Amino acid sequence: MYIDPAAGSLVLQAIAAGVLSALAMFSRVREGVKSFFRSLVPRRGRWTDGR
Amino acid sequence: MDGRPLGSSFRDPGGFVYTRDGVLYRQVNRVFQDRFEAFLGSGLYDELARQRLLVSHRPVSLELAASPEAVAVLEPERVPFVSYPYEWSVGQLRDAALLTLELQERALVRGFTLRDASAYNVQFLGGRPVLIDSLSFEPREEGAPWAAYGQFCQHFLVPLALMCHVDIRLGTLQRTYLDGVPLELGSRLLGAAGWLRPGLLFHVRAQAKLQRRYADRDIGRAARARSVGAPALLQLVRGLRGAVEGLAWNPVGTEWADYAHETNYTPSAAGAKRNLVIEMLQGLGARTVWDLGANTGDYSRAARTLVPGVVAFDLDPAAVERNYRRVRAEGETGILPLLMDLTNPSPAQGWAHRERLSLEERGPADVVLALALIHHLAIGHNLPLNRIADFLARLGRRLVIEFVAKSDSQVGRLLRNRPDIFPDYTVDGFESAFRRRFAIDRREPIPGSERTLYLMTALPGGAGR
Repeated sequence: MYIDPAAGSLVLQAIAAGVLSALAMFSRVREGVKSFFRSLVPRRGRWTDGR
Repeated sequence: MDGRPLGSSFRDPGGFVYTRDGVLYRQVNRVFQDRFEAFLGSGLYDELARQRLLVSHRPVSLELAASPEAVAVLEPERVPFVSYPYEWSVGQLRDAALLTLELQERALVRGFTLRDASAYNVQFLGGRPVLIDSLSFEPREEGAPWAAYGQFCQHFLVPLALMCHVDIRLGTLQRTYLDGVPLELGSRLLGAAGWLRPGLLFHVRAQAKLQRRYADRDIGRAARARSVGAPALLQLVRGLRGAVEGLAWNPVGTEWADYAHETNYTPSAAGAKRNLVIEMLQGLGARTVWDLGANTGDYSRAARTLVPGVVAFDLDPAAVERNYRRVRAEGETGILPLLMDLTNPSPAQGWAHRERLSLEERGPADVVLALALIHHLAIGHNLPLNRIADFLARLGRRLVIEFVAKSDSQVGRLLRNRPDIFPDYTVDGFESAFRRRFAIDRREPIPGSERTLYLMTALPGGAGR
């Protein structure tokens, strides 16, 4: 690194990265919760596919 | 300047640019050897050079090195005319910004990063922006933030936002702030736009605030604790791209934007003038033409039919922007529209007056075109004819110049509300002022107008002094 990156600019990137990873984590948790509940409720197709 | 670095090439310990026997070279220093070899070995250089995003180079003998630290010497493709961000229209700066982001995105995908994001590393080649610094890439350290993020915002985002949201003339701030317009200044000048646009709120306002807060603090530990992954950096770059793409300016409403439609040329007189210009350029063997006061570039294009490189200068941001859009829309090469106020042309500036060249230092051109210009300088700006001749003789070896008589309605407009203090502004006065610096080779009245076109040759001691 030969230019001064400016401390504040580095901090902002760290904050942005933190927010992004929190969002990613939140969306993973939400998907997990959704798929858990989906697994509890029988899908409509199971009753209507003739088996 | 043989083997000595160019005046603009001294900040990066990784290498520098110099000339030897008139050929431009880039030296790679030992300290940067590993990173440069990694860059070449990754295939990134080949990809970028092939797609004309990065200037291509060929390795040459190490014997041509300028100093003992050299591990490689490159001969880059030469840019015919070096221009600076403060001479670009808003569209040119925007395209240069998008190029820089495109390069950073491609670098990140391959595990590399841009070490700097200076607008001065971009030049226009073949009508398009291209990165000229082959040493700008290095392997990215896992978790490292983008060191050049703040520089990108200062060099590109802030001036673009100010031009598009506040006033197009604020682009001239770049001439004062050679390392980019400070975020804090940009944030203050942007006012409400800095709050209302999410991209500007984040990249300009928030960053300016954090820069102020952490200006004197050691963030070493905090920065180490929180790493920035490649996906987050890609999001940051894409966010910047969105912010830049969201900035637009409509080139209307400035003094000169509709000038071509307001001249007193009939279509046949304009055609006659065009033919005369081409006729005068024929046989000169010119390689470079500087069209001064080019407006949207009609006569630049006439010159381009004979000459490989035309630089089309105008002082009006709307005219230069329109000209650049024509270049991009038609895929034209060899025409470079640039902003230039001839009454205050780009000076030599930066460290030791050597970093950025003056307009004159980038010449002389083979031919200077000065069409429908003299009355604006002589009458609009009170510039004595002999001083105009002095300056034009330093800019070009040959001169194609149009004299616009007082009886012409355009001169009448300039004199409408002011006393006529220009007794020497006559054909005789014009010729005697220009004979001090030029030999008059041809003189042709332009049919259907009050104007005369001249072809002149600068006398020894004029151009290139």
